[in-house]
Amino acid sequence: MFSTSSQSKYWLFNGETELTFHRTEANEAYIRTRRGNRTDDEAKAYFLTPSEEKILSRQYEVVLCKFCSEFTPPMPRCVIGTSLAFFKRFYVHNSNMDYHPKDIMLTCVYLACKVEEFYVPIGQFVRNLRGDREKFADAILSFELTLMSKLNYHLTVHNPFRPLEGFLIDIKTRFKEISNLERIRRPAEEFIERSLQTDACLVFSPSQIALTSLMFGAAKEGVSLDRYLKDVLLKTATTREMEITMYQIRRVKFTVKGYEPVPREQAQAVQKKLDLCRNQENNPDSDVYKQRMLEKLDEEEDMRVKKRARLNDDK
Amino acid sequence: MDEQGCPRCKTTKYRNPSLKLMVNVCGHSLCESCVELLFVKGSGACPDCGTALRRSNFRLQIFEDALVEKEIDIRKRVLRDFNKKEEDFSSLKDYNDYLEMIETIVFNLSNQIEVDATKKMIDQYKKENKNHIRKNQSKMSRDEELLDALIEQEQQESTMRRMMTLEDEKREKAAKRKHKEALIDALMYQDRSAYDIINSHKEASQHEEVEAKRAAVTAFSTGIRIGHQNDIVPLAKLEQGQLYRYCPLIMEWMGPEPPTMDELYTDGYLKNIRSASDAERAGGFREALACHRALQDAMCGLFSYPPKAPSPGKLMTAGSSSSHSPMMIF
Repeated sequence: MFSTSSQSKYWLFNGETELTFHRTEANEAYIRTRRGNRTDDEAKAYFLTPSEEKILSRQYEVVLCKFCSEFTPPMPRCVIGTSLAFFKRFYVHNSNMDYHPKDIMLTCVYLACKVEEFYVPIGQFVRNLRGDREKFADAILSFELTLMSKLNYHLTVHNPFRPLEGFLIDIKTRFKEISNLERIRRPAEEFIERSLQTDACLVFSPSQIALTSLMFGAAKEGVSLDRYLKDVLLKTATTREMEITMYQIRRVKFTVKGYEPVPREQAQAVQKKLDLCRNQENNPDSDVYKQRMLEKLDEEEDMRVKKRARLNDDK
Repeated sequence: MDEQGCPRCKTTKYRNPSLKLMVNVCGHSLCESCVELLFVKGSGACPDCGTALRRSNFRLQIFEDALVEKEIDIRKRVLRDFNKKEEDFSSLKDYNDYLEMIETIVFNLSNQIEVDATKKMIDQYKKENKNHIRKNQSKMSRDEELLDALIEQEQQESTMRRMMTLEDEKREKAAKRKHKEALIDALMYQDRSAYDIINSHKEASQHEEVEAKRAAVTAFSTGIRIGHQNDIVPLAKLEQGQLYRYCPLIMEWMGPEPPTMDELYTDGYLKNIRSASDAERAGGFREALACHRALQDAMCGLFSYPPKAPSPGKLMTAGSSSSHSPMMIF
């Protein structure tokens, strides 16, 4: 249930302002640890700015959606919703420079598959990628635990798809005036898919998004749902609750309508910048990363040797 | 394990349930009829290994593995000679070494390892300890004595019990007869109604029977006395907490109240969804479940509004920039 979920408790923010605040904080924190003795201007030129980070995130959200829609076997929509929610949640408190969105994106999809009970073994998963598949598999698996811990193990995501079904059933049952309601479904679903590209899932509850999508779809088909809202759905609600709902619906509409795809060239420029300033410790291709992995392996080996020695002593 | 069977005539326990396997000193089994057939003259060679065997040495195979039988046989023979007791040794270690030696000999003989050397060793031991062996043969070990004593005691007890039951029965019979006589006497000479007299007698006899029963059984077969539960240390009484009181679950919807499961049926919600297939029904799924969930999800959180408290996310920013470190848990 959403009202008692971790999503409502920890992952709903006041709005774009609060989100920007957190993202800027993450960005500054990263720059603080890495700037060395660069001057402010140099740092600005070298590191990504919060707005550049946002461009990058948006770009990779598009890539993620494309990857998911071409995925074989075809995945249920809730997997896409969940993986995007993971991705967005991750970059609320982490910088794009710290973890490259390319790695996190794939890991998010892989984890979402598991969470939404659409499990695809890693071997089959990477078959959807071009390039060195083994390397991809290694990267995904090594980032999986990090991702989960950064998400604070809040893995259940409530997507707007089921509420949409619920509203459709409810309207069909309690508000029979509309004939052929199914024609609303398509535009409504398109609206929800569009909303996935925005920060809506970090600000609004899934049922609010679903209801807005329904209103949007109805308006497109020239049907009015106002009477349904007033006389059926919110009949028992207080005036304040009604106001909140209407206000939130307006905000959702505004947020989703205001979404604009990022121009490709802009994103590419940012990406080039990122290749320089990213955290090499979290880059699976870098020497630092490999060195660290080796150390970790050695450590494990050491532990095993020690354990064995202890066992022998006990004998 | 394979089916147990006679290696010569290939009869198995399955085909002939009354099959009896016999075994001789060499450890190879034969069924009863084969033994009769092969050893008509009283002696012959084992069909498996050619050892000369005597018919009288055949005995029933108790263990499934014939090798075990062989080992038991050998052990019996060896122990006849190696019959020293613990008292014969100065220290426990010596005794244990001696036991170890016996085990080695038995193992060697039953697994055909250095048979000649071992046999020679036995002979030598026999020669050296001739007197000792003879002396010990007549002496029973302490364990055996104890066992014998136990058996004797048990026998005594069982005879006692038999006597007691016999006596009890006798007494009961006598009592019954006395009752009958008393009843007839009463019927003859008392001037109460016959019905009353019979009833009162019945009661009295029943009462007596119950008493007798209570007196008779005082102990379970295990020897624990009936009615002596007080001997058992009582369990420490658990501190009883407050009794559980049911309070109905209050859902916090943050939205309009969704219809209940019953309303789904009465208000016709189910007409608007795909009905469950037979296969799904067999697994316990009903379309109402999915419908209920969708409606709940739709209504839930509709009134949700930006959290009033400072977003808990702020608490997490401290750990957010350090790479690969587990996040603070709050």
